[in-house]
Amino acid sequence: METKPLSGRIVTVGVSLLSVVAFILLFSKTPFDAVRYFFTGPFLNRYFLGNMINSSVPLIFTGLGISIAFKASLFNLGGEGQIYAGAVTAVAVCLAFPGMNGFAGITAALVAGGITAGLLAMISGLLKVKWNVDSMISSFLLSGAVLHVVDYLITGPLDDPSSSLLATSPINSQYFLSFLMLPSKLNTGLFLGLLFSAGTAFLVYTTLWGYEMRISGYSRSFAGYGGIKVSRYVITPFFISGFLHGLGGGVAVLGTYHMAIKGFTAGAGWGGIAVALLADNNPLLVVPAALFLAYLKAGANTAMQYTDVTMEIAVVAQAVVYFLVTSEIMYTIFRRKRKEP
Amino acid sequence: MKVIHDAVSIMTPFLLAAAGGLLTELSGTLTIALEGFMLIGAFSGVVFAHIIGSTSAGIIAGALASMIFALLYGGITYYLKANIFIAGLAANLLASGLTAMLSFSFFGTKGVIHFSDVEGLRAFHVPLLGEYSFMVYISWAVLLLIWFILNKTPLGMRIRGTGFDSETIRSIGLKPELYRLLSVLIAGFTCGLAGSMLSLSVSSFVPDMTAGRGWIALVVIYLGNRTIAGVLAASFVFGLSISLSNYAQGIVTIPSDFILAFPYILTVSAMIIYSIWQGRKKGVKE
Repeated sequence: METKPLSGRIVTVGVSLLSVVAFILLFSKTPFDAVRYFFTGPFLNRYFLGNMINSSVPLIFTGLGISIAFKASLFNLGGEGQIYAGAVTAVAVCLAFPGMNGFAGITAALVAGGITAGLLAMISGLLKVKWNVDSMISSFLLSGAVLHVVDYLITGPLDDPSSSLLATSPINSQYFLSFLMLPSKLNTGLFLGLLFSAGTAFLVYTTLWGYEMRISGYSRSFAGYGGIKVSRYVITPFFISGFLHGLGGGVAVLGTYHMAIKGFTAGAGWGGIAVALLADNNPLLVVPAALFLAYLKAGANTAMQYTDVTMEIAVVAQAVVYFLVTSEIMYTIFRRKRKEP
Repeated sequence: MKVIHDAVSIMTPFLLAAAGGLLTELSGTLTIALEGFMLIGAFSGVVFAHIIGSTSAGIIAGALASMIFALLYGGITYYLKANIFIAGLAANLLASGLTAMLSFSFFGTKGVIHFSDVEGLRAFHVPLLGEYSFMVYISWAVLLLIWFILNKTPLGMRIRGTGFDSETIRSIGLKPELYRLLSVLIAGFTCGLAGSMLSLSVSSFVPDMTAGRGWIALVVIYLGNRTIAGVLAASFVFGLSISLSNYAQGIVTIPSDFILAFPYILTVSAMIIYSIWQGRKKGVKE
């Protein structure tokens, strides 16, 4: 993935917001209210603002996971399955050991969720190294299978029969991450997200491992010629990418939902790709990029609550980001402008 | 016999999508947007059949809508030079979001929309072959047509030439982008047919009803060794295994989620076997 100028990405963000306005004008009977709620909704009160920031937390983790894979020139399209598997593992650990003290339980649940998802992602890396199986397609297909298996676990063996929700039983309250901004769901998971953002940046930019991984991502044959063991930088980046996704799932469970609900992490995996692209795979820029995507989603949500548009408008805006962020149109426009004087 | 009959019906959407996708692969830019093209075809197919009042018109509208969508994708990919994988993801995501939005605006629901006035796909009995929905026969005609285009026309030669070495094509004054765009448009057409077959056979649109078929079609292209005959054989193997698993479902009870997971597991296993086989072949050559 080559680096594109920042100005292009700012325009991408602008165009994706404009596309939202265009779709609202096309579909809504009360377009002015819908546009107003879309843009100002997330800032209307503490509740909306806190929830918006909170919904950026899973995107920070998935965005970091995708960034590290992109840095190694690997496509991990299995994010949806990995975050879901991480979440259900974290719940299973909390339900299996209901009596641990809070800190130990939280750590165990998060680590177990991360490792499960990491191993799941690592399969794609192993298949690529061993038999040259295309990792983009294999990660997507494995995740497709895992989504259904997790659905089965949530609605079958782990289902709470006393509740009509398609969900597991709630976890014990000593495992909850503390809330920061009641009545919203914002919790200390945010700090974990920021911590991992810094940690990933440290790993990628300052360690020998990160340096060799970036060289391998730039050109595998060059790296191999320089004596780097290239297969290492296929398998471990996949594991770390999956680990971060799983961690995101675990944080969503312990911080926000306190149980696993069928399909509750849907979209966070794809969102991670948009975040990584907007952040140009820089782990530190992942945080603002995740906030922007969370803002799109929250805006669409409030517009849906008060007017007649659906929240899928955020999905469409996200697709616009995908389309434009790697295309050269922004770059060309800016280059032309610079040439004129 | 019933198993084989079902297999032929089940394989048809895969076959159509993979045949169109094969052209994009041969032009050197395999598109992962087949899933999105199919979903647009599924939605437009059943909705236009309802509006116009004719199932055949619905199929044509589905194919056209999917081609327009493919034009958008192809334009952005080949002329604005977006990364083909990212643009493909965008197309899939856009198809999913757009169909949900349109269905909410026009029919007031994001769930299943059933059109009781839309007549399902008619079946025809052909001696020796048996009784199949007419889309099955159309898919065979499309397959023959694509084989003909690829092997017997200058257009097919140029598409393959673009995939082989696009700079040579450019040096003789032709535009590789154009041939890539044309192959994506044909893929839009075949995926539109595949999608409208899915929705019209049940007279309904179900959100994200393509359920990974576009992705599996990508694997079918590889397993078919990038030839039309191979794609046909690989689709049949897929159709047969899914049909067998449906049949097994009648005998032993398996949770429905596992049945849904089965095509993905099958596809991954097939990919692994294919890659090992390819690796062996290369090993012998060297």
